[in-house]
Amino acid sequence: MRRALIAGVALTCLFAATSAVEAYLKLGTNAGGRLVNLRWHTFPIRYFVTNRDVPGVTAPQLQHAADRAFASWAAVPNVALSSQFAGFTSALPLTGDNANVIGFQDRPDLERVLGATSFTLDTVSGEILESDIFLNSTFPWSVAPAGEAGRQDLESIVLHEIGHLHGLGHSALGETELISGGRRVIGAEAVMFPIAFSAGNLNRTLRADDIAGISDIYGDAGFRSATGSIAGRVTKNGAGVLGAHLTAFNPASGKLVGGFALSPDGTFVIAGLEPGPQVVRAEPLDDGDPGSFLDASLNIDLDFTPAFYNRLVTVPRAGTSRSIEVKVHSK
Amino acid sequence: MNARGNRAALTLLASIAFPIAAAAQSPRADRDPRAGSWEIAAALLWTGGYNAGSAAALETRNPSTRSTPLTLFTTDSRLRGAPGVESRLGVYLGRRVSMEGVLEFSRPVLRSHLGGDFESAAPTDADATVTSYVVGGSALYHFGNGRLHPFVEGGVGYLRQLLEDHDGLITGAEFHAGAGLKYRLTHGAHPFALRLDGVASSRSRSVAFDQKRRVVPELAAGLSWRVF
Repeated sequence: MRRALIAGVALTCLFAATSAVEAYLKLGTNAGGRLVNLRWHTFPIRYFVTNRDVPGVTAPQLQHAADRAFASWAAVPNVALSSQFAGFTSALPLTGDNANVIGFQDRPDLERVLGATSFTLDTVSGEILESDIFLNSTFPWSVAPAGEAGRQDLESIVLHEIGHLHGLGHSALGETELISGGRRVIGAEAVMFPIAFSAGNLNRTLRADDIAGISDIYGDAGFRSATGSIAGRVTKNGAGVLGAHLTAFNPASGKLVGGFALSPDGTFVIAGLEPGPQVVRAEPLDDGDPGSFLDASLNIDLDFTPAFYNRLVTVPRAGTSRSIEVKVHSK
Repeated sequence: MNARGNRAALTLLASIAFPIAAAAQSPRADRDPRAGSWEIAAALLWTGGYNAGSAAALETRNPSTRSTPLTLFTTDSRLRGAPGVESRLGVYLGRRVSMEGVLEFSRPVLRSHLGGDFESAAPTDADATVTSYVVGGSALYHFGNGRLHPFVEGGVGYLRQLLEDHDGLITGAEFHAGAGLKYRLTHGAHPFALRLDGVASSRSRSVAFDQKRRVVPELAAGLSWRVF
């Protein structure tokens, strides 16, 4: 067994440019040229909470927020996730001590990072052996039920980080705008979008994209039999478009689920979709920070305009649609 | 073929030849249908379209920017009217009343207009072809005498619609009511007639993005032939 600590402030997808992978943005590792998804093999996930109060949040309040966030992920139908609070600890997160630790640290140097998740994993099987969640106490936090203006909602951020802890990468279902000092999210339809809302409690609820993603990793036979996939390629002048972001929209339910073209030939699969006709749309990743989603070393193509696929795509139950080709054009 | 087979073949030939000969001998001997008379019909069909629902792809708005959801894009969908074919087999219960079985087939297009894109994607019409069947039955009451026979009709059916690539299936109940006329083109006991139908077809479920009962018009024009 090979163990490796993978830590970072912007943990995103480690999927490299390889053959088609199944849908959604999941964390993965390259095991001898083979792509392996990161996932827990043993449940419940036992976690500790750093016994340290910070302004606005006590350690028990952090534990309660983590408990609710784990419960939100575990409540997704047709997945079998469970967690167990193991106690308070003096250990800090991101230390690789064989314990899953959630806690605050002062990191004023990470002036744009609210939180991050680290992993120790079996690089052959992709099994997550340990995962820590760091929350940056440099920022003002809130545990108020409705959130507080000017403060980050603790449960929303912990819910996002626990999505990473389970093996999910970032979703690109959101829009941002440039403001002084960085980017601000205008709207998002995934808890796993990499930029947090400024305040409020709206991201305490998982969206269709989050549910499709976690189900794609841990879904049981019930999930596989009740949902389907859209497969195809994104092309520009006949060549594949690496890094294109795709959105499947079901007009009947209003659910949006995203996916990515993760190989140089532009191949993509969006899984976990409701059966029936769906709209497919392709867009470039946010050119402000594509590294938030995919390995920054990849040659991600951002030079194309958003486009709709000109057919409705019927998602079959427990199957994959015929392969489609979404043609995009340079800006 | 043995001797019994020869007799059967002759009997069948005679039964076909007899009405033809009878019509030739008495070209003006029109006969109204009676209980037990059978009629077949085939027609070209046009089924009207309907609004299949509008939707918006919404994202949750960052509360510090605005309170209303962010619209990524919108869809406005319609099942377009389509030509088709239908066939009917009917039996008369009396001179005025008949019962029919009906089979309809058409291939309408579900079209979604995609627009209002937040990032200015070009508006697009996205289509999917639907294969639609209706199997049902109708009761007809005929009026009039002579060559022109108006009628009213009503009945029920089973609607089966397959989305493109046969990956999606929608089934529902269908009720229809309407009127039509038969205009006799030939004479005798087995006349051909021009048949026109116009009905309103109410469908409990059908291809759409919002599930509700829909009423669509159906027009059919074809020929009928009284077999027996």
